[in-house]
Amino acid sequence: MACGIEAKETLPEPNNSYRVNCGKWSLLRAHRICMVSDFFYPNMGGVESHIYQLSQCLIERGHKVIIVTHAYGNRKGVRYLTNGLKIYYLPLKVMYNQSTATTLFHSLPLLRYIFVRERINMVHSHSSFSAMAHDSLFHAKTMGIHTVFTDHSLFGFADVSSVLTNKLLTVSLCDTNHIICVSYTSKENTVLRAALDPEIVSVIPNAVDPAEFMPDQDRRNGSTITIVVVSRLVYRKGIDLLGGIIPELCQKYPHLHFLVGGEGPKRLVLEEVRERYQLHDRVHLLGALEHQDVRNVLVQGQIFLNTSLTEAFCMAIVEAASCGLQVVSTRVGGIPEVLPENLIILCEPSVKSLCEGLEKAIAQHQAERSPSPESIHNTVKTFYTWRNVAERTEKVYDRVAGETVLPMCERLERLFAHCGSVTGYFFAVCAVVNFLFLLFLRWVTPDSIIDIAVDATGPNGAWTRQHISTGAKKGKRTEA
Amino acid sequence: MQEQQFTNIYGGAISLQCRSYDAASCREFSVCTQKLSLRGLTACTCAVWLAAYALFAYTENSAVLSAAIFVTLIGLLFYLHFVKIDQESLLVIASLGIQMTSYYASGKESTTFIEMNNVKDVVINEAIYMQKVIYYLCILLKDPVDPHGISEVVPVFQTSAARHLPTRWTASKAAGPSNSFEGAVQVEINMCILETTL
Repeated sequence: MACGIEAKETLPEPNNSYRVNCGKWSLLRAHRICMVSDFFYPNMGGVESHIYQLSQCLIERGHKVIIVTHAYGNRKGVRYLTNGLKIYYLPLKVMYNQSTATTLFHSLPLLRYIFVRERINMVHSHSSFSAMAHDSLFHAKTMGIHTVFTDHSLFGFADVSSVLTNKLLTVSLCDTNHIICVSYTSKENTVLRAALDPEIVSVIPNAVDPAEFMPDQDRRNGSTITIVVVSRLVYRKGIDLLGGIIPELCQKYPHLHFLVGGEGPKRLVLEEVRERYQLHDRVHLLGALEHQDVRNVLVQGQIFLNTSLTEAFCMAIVEAASCGLQVVSTRVGGIPEVLPENLIILCEPSVKSLCEGLEKAIAQHQAERSPSPESIHNTVKTFYTWRNVAERTEKVYDRVAGETVLPMCERLERLFAHCGSVTGYFFAVCAVVNFLFLLFLRWVTPDSIIDIAVDATGPNGAWTRQHISTGAKKGKRTEA
Repeated sequence: MQEQQFTNIYGGAISLQCRSYDAASCREFSVCTQKLSLRGLTACTCAVWLAAYALFAYTENSAVLSAAIFVTLIGLLFYLHFVKIDQESLLVIASLGIQMTSYYASGKESTTFIEMNNVKDVVINEAIYMQKVIYYLCILLKDPVDPHGISEVVPVFQTSAARHLPTRWTASKAAGPSNSFEGAVQVEINMCILETTL
C-alpha cells in the first residue's frame, strides 16, 4: 500500500502484474504466481519438494506465490506453510496414482474463483502426470492468464500409453507460453514429444539443499566397502540390473556390503538374489525411507550406485555426491549433464559395464585415490542451489509476462495446425465449450462480487509487512 | 441505530443493523436478507404446475393435478418454516455471552446461546464452499479438556452468507496486544470490527 502500486495495465487481459517502485517501469516486477500440481505435501517426492523450495525462494524474491493441489485425506481447504505460502487443497476426486480425474471442465468454477480472488497473473503447472496441472493450463488460457509448464519426467515414443500421453501433451503445450525442462535431454524429449518450438523451452535443473546432505566421516566403517542404492524398486530404476550385479561383485570382494533403501514391486528380485547366494549379512534391504532419513543412509557408504534405465534429471546422484560418495551411474537420459566427469563414473546400462564401473570405483577407494568427501561436498554445493533455480525461473516469468496470451481465434488455429485434424478439432470444440462455460460462470457470479483475498506474500503480503509481523501468526490462523 | 447495505457472496443485497443498548458492553447486530420474491415464487409454482399438466396430458389421470396442488402448498410451507431465514441477529453482552437468533419467514425463531467463558476467540477464516472460496466469520469455542485447543467452530450469519473482509481486522488485531484483553472485551472489539468489515 505504501509503495505506490499500479494496479492495472493497459493490456487487454484483466489480470496483469503490478509493479513496485513507481519510477522504474520495467524494474522489480512482482508476479502473482499460482503453482498447480496434483503432487504436493503430504505426498513425498521430487516434484513436491521442487514446488515447495521454488515457491519459498520466489517468496524471498518478493513475489506472491500460492499453491493449488487436491485434498489429501483430511487435509483440505486453505492452509499456510512457512513464510505465508498459501496452499489450496481442493476437494477433487483422485483417480489414479494421486492424479485427479479430468473432464476438462469440472474444475473450472473453483480454479477461476481462486485465480480471480488471488489476482493471479501467472499459472505455473508442474508434472505431465498431473491431470490438474493440464486442466489449470487449459482454464488459465481460456481466462487469458499467462502459463508456464515444468516437465519433470522423460517418456518413450513406442508403446500405446506414451503415444496417447504425447498426443495430450501436444494439445496441452501447443499454446502454453513457456515450458521448463530439468535437463537438456529432457528438453529434447519434450520438444520431440509435444512437437514444440525449442525457442520456448528453457532448461532449469533441479537443486538440492546442500546443508541437508553433509558428509559424515565418522559414520563410515573403515574395513569394509559399502555400496548404497537409494531408489524406488521399480523396473524404470533398473533393479533387475542390480540383481545381476550383487552376486557377481559379492563373490569377488569378500568385504563388500550393499545397502538398499526404497520399496517397490522389484523388491522380490533382490530378496530372491539374497536368498539364493546366502547374502543376508551383506545385502541390507531397508525398505521405504523417509526423506529426512536418506542422508543418514547415504553417509554409511562409500560408493553410490544408480542403475536407472531412464531419468530426466537424477536428484539422487547429486544428493549422494553432496554427501561425499563416489557415484557410479548408468549413462541414460539427462544423467551425463548432471555431474562433472571427475565426480561420476558412467557405464552402459548392462550388468557387465556396471560391474566394471564399480570395480574401478572400488579400486580407486582402496588405493585412496578418490577425493575426500568434504572436497566433493564443497564442489557439488555450488552447482545446484534453489536460489539460482528461482532466479532463472523469474527470468522466464519476466519474459512470459511481456508476451501476449493467444486470443481465442488464434488459439483455435494453433490447435488445428499443431494437433492433427481429429484431435485438433475435438480440443478446439472443448476450448470453445470451456469459454462458454466461463462466460456462464461470469454471468452467475461476476468477478465484482468475488472478494479479493488478503495477500499473505508478495509486495503487499500480510506476512511480510513490517508493522504486523508480531501479530501475523495470530492474525492468519487457519483451522486445523 | 444505523443501517447499512451490503451484498452477500451470491451478489444479493443484505442490510446490517447495529443497535447499542444503554450499557456500553451490550450490542446487537442483525443481518436482513431479501424477502421472498414474488418472481421466484411464481417461477417455482409455474414449473411444478407445467410439469403436472404435462404428466396429466400423458396419463389422463386427474389425481396428478391435485397432487401438484398439495406439493406446491406443502413445499411452500416447508420452505417458509424450515429453509427461508429472513433475519439473523447476534446479541453480544460482554459480561454474559453471545446469543445468535435466526428468524424464519414463517415467524419461527431458533436461538443458540454461547457463554462468554466458552468463547476462545472470534476469527475470520477461509473455506471452500459450494465451488467458491469464501471468508466467513466464526466463533471458536474452548475445549474443556485442552486449554489451548478448540472444540468447535461456530459460523455466524451462515445463511445470509455475508462477505467478511479481513482487511481492517488483521490490522487492528495486530495493533492491540491481544493476550492482555479479557475474552469478553476482545469479542466486543471483534464485533466492532465486524461492523466495519462486513
